[in-house]
Amino acid sequence: MSRRRTTLVLLALGVATLDLLPLALILKQAFTPERESFAWPPTWWPHEFTLDNFRTLGTTIELERGFWLSLGVAGLTVTSALILTLPAAWLAARRPRADRPLDAAMIVARLFPTIALAVPLAALFVSVGLYNHPAGLGLWLAHTLLAIPVAFLVLRTGFRDVPAELEDAARLDGASACGAFLWVTLPLVRPSLAAAGILVFLVSWDEFAYALLLQVTNRSLPPLLYYLSAFGYPGLASAVAAIMLVPALAIIFVLEPALRSGTLSGSGR
Amino acid sequence: MRRTFGTWMWLLAAPLGLFLLAFLAYPIAYAIKLALTDPLTQAFPSVSNVRLIVHDSLFWQALWGNIILPIASVALELAAGLGLAVVMAARFPGRRLLRLVVIVPFALPEIVFLAIMRSVFAPRGYANAALAAAGAPPVEWLLPGRALTFLTVVVVDAWHVTPVVFLMVLAALAALPNEIDEAAQLDGAGMLARFFCITLPLLRPALFAAVLLRGLDAMRMFATPLVLAGVEGAPVLSTYAYHQWSDYGNDGAAAAAASGLALLCTLVTLLLLRRRVLT
Repeated sequence: MSRRRTTLVLLALGVATLDLLPLALILKQAFTPERESFAWPPTWWPHEFTLDNFRTLGTTIELERGFWLSLGVAGLTVTSALILTLPAAWLAARRPRADRPLDAAMIVARLFPTIALAVPLAALFVSVGLYNHPAGLGLWLAHTLLAIPVAFLVLRTGFRDVPAELEDAARLDGASACGAFLWVTLPLVRPSLAAAGILVFLVSWDEFAYALLLQVTNRSLPPLLYYLSAFGYPGLASAVAAIMLVPALAIIFVLEPALRSGTLSGSGR
Repeated sequence: MRRTFGTWMWLLAAPLGLFLLAFLAYPIAYAIKLALTDPLTQAFPSVSNVRLIVHDSLFWQALWGNIILPIASVALELAAGLGLAVVMAARFPGRRLLRLVVIVPFALPEIVFLAIMRSVFAPRGYANAALAAAGAPPVEWLLPGRALTFLTVVVVDAWHVTPVVFLMVLAALAALPNEIDEAAQLDGAGMLARFFCITLPLLRPALFAAVLLRGLDAMRMFATPLVLAGVEGAPVLSTYAYHQWSDYGNDGAAAAAASGLALLCTLVTLLLLRRRVLT
C-alpha cells in the first residue's frame, strides 16, 4: 500500500513538473537577458535577473500600440457580447420554444471553423474599410461572434438558476415585466454576468487566428508575439507572453470552480 | 401566473439574431460565392478555384494532415486525460493543489504556450538540452514534412488541451455510483479488471462526448501547426487556406479550402448531433 502511495506521489510530481514547465520557462526568459535565452546548453534556472525585456517592450511603439489595441478590442467585445446575449439568454432560459432555435444557432457559431469565417470576413471588411482598422473595429466584430456562444451559455445557466416564480411574484406586486427583470432577476445573475464577462475578455485577449488575418499593420498582441518568437527574440517574446498571462491566469480561479459546478460543461473553448 | 409566449418576445432575441445573420450566415454564404467565382473572369459559378487546389500537392498533404493530426491528438489527449483523472480520483497528499496545477497549461493563452514550445523544440532548445543531459544525441523536432514534426505538433497540442479532457472525465468519474465498484471488489475483481470491465464502460458516454468535442476543435487546428512548423512543415486545411490567402492573395482558393474544412466539420457535427451528445 505504501509503495503504491510513493508511486502516486512520484507520478504527481512528474505531472506537476510537466504542467508548470511552460509557465516557468516563460517567466525565466522574460526576466533574464536575451543572450541567456540563446545560451547553449540552455539554463534551467535564471542566472542573471533583468527587466531589460520589459523596458524594450515599453519603448517599442508597435508593442505599446498592440497592447492598447488588444485591451480595447477585448473591452469592446465584453460590452457587445453581453448586451447581445443578455436578453436572448433570458428568453432561452424562460421560454423553451425560443431555446431550441437559439441553441442551434449557438452550436453553429461555436463549431464553425474560424478560418472559414475569417477568409470571407477579411474580404468583406476590405470593401467597407474595417480591414486592418486602426482601432481594431473589424477584429472586434469577429471577436464578438466568437464570444457570443460563451456568454450565451453562461448567462442562460445563470438565468435558469433563478426561479421564474420570483419574477412572477414581482409582477403580482405591480412591477412591469421590465421592472421585474431589472430589479429582481438581474441582481441575482450578477455572478454569472461577471463570469461571462471575464471569459469573454479572455476569448478576445487570447485569440490568434482572426487577429492574424484581419489586422496586417495595426497588430494586436497575439500576432506580435508570434512574429517576435518566429524572428528570434525569445526574451522579448517571453516578456510579451508574461504580460498576456496576467489576465489569462485569472481563468484558473474563474474556470476551475465553474467547471466543478458544471456551469460550463460542454461549452468548451 | 401564466407564462405566455408573446410574439413580441422574439424582439429580445432580435439583436443577437441580426448580428448572427450579418456576421455568421452572410460570411458563410459569401465564402461559398468566393469559392465558386473564377478569380480572373469573375464568372459564377465556376470550379476554377477547386480545380486549382486539387492540382496542388500541398492541398492533399493538408487534407491528410487534417485527418491524421486530429485523430492522433485526440487519442493521446484521451489516454492522458483518462489516466490523470483516474490517478487524481485516488487520495494522496497535495491532491487538491495538483488539480489546480494540472489546469495551468490550458489557462495559458494558446499563442503564449506555442511561443515557449518553439523555444523548447528548437534545435538548441530545452528538449535537446534534456536529451544531452541524459547523454542522447540531439533531435530535429520540427524539420518540415517529417513524421516526427507531426508527432511534435500532436504532443504540443495534447500538452496544451489534455486538461479539458481531464476535467470532463473527472466530472464523469465523480458522478459514477460507488456501489457497483464496491460490489465487484467484494466479488473479488482486481483493480485492472474493475477499471476495464466497470469504470471504462460506465464512462463511455463521457468519453464519447470528449472525443467528438475535442475532435471538432482539433479539426480546426490552426495556430499549433502554423507557429511550430510553418505552413509547409505540418500542413492542415486551415493553414493551407491561410497560405493561399496571405501568400498568394488568392481569396477564391482560400475560401474553397476553408469551405472544404467547414464541410468536413459539418459532417462530424451532424454525427455528433445524431448521437445527442450536446443536449
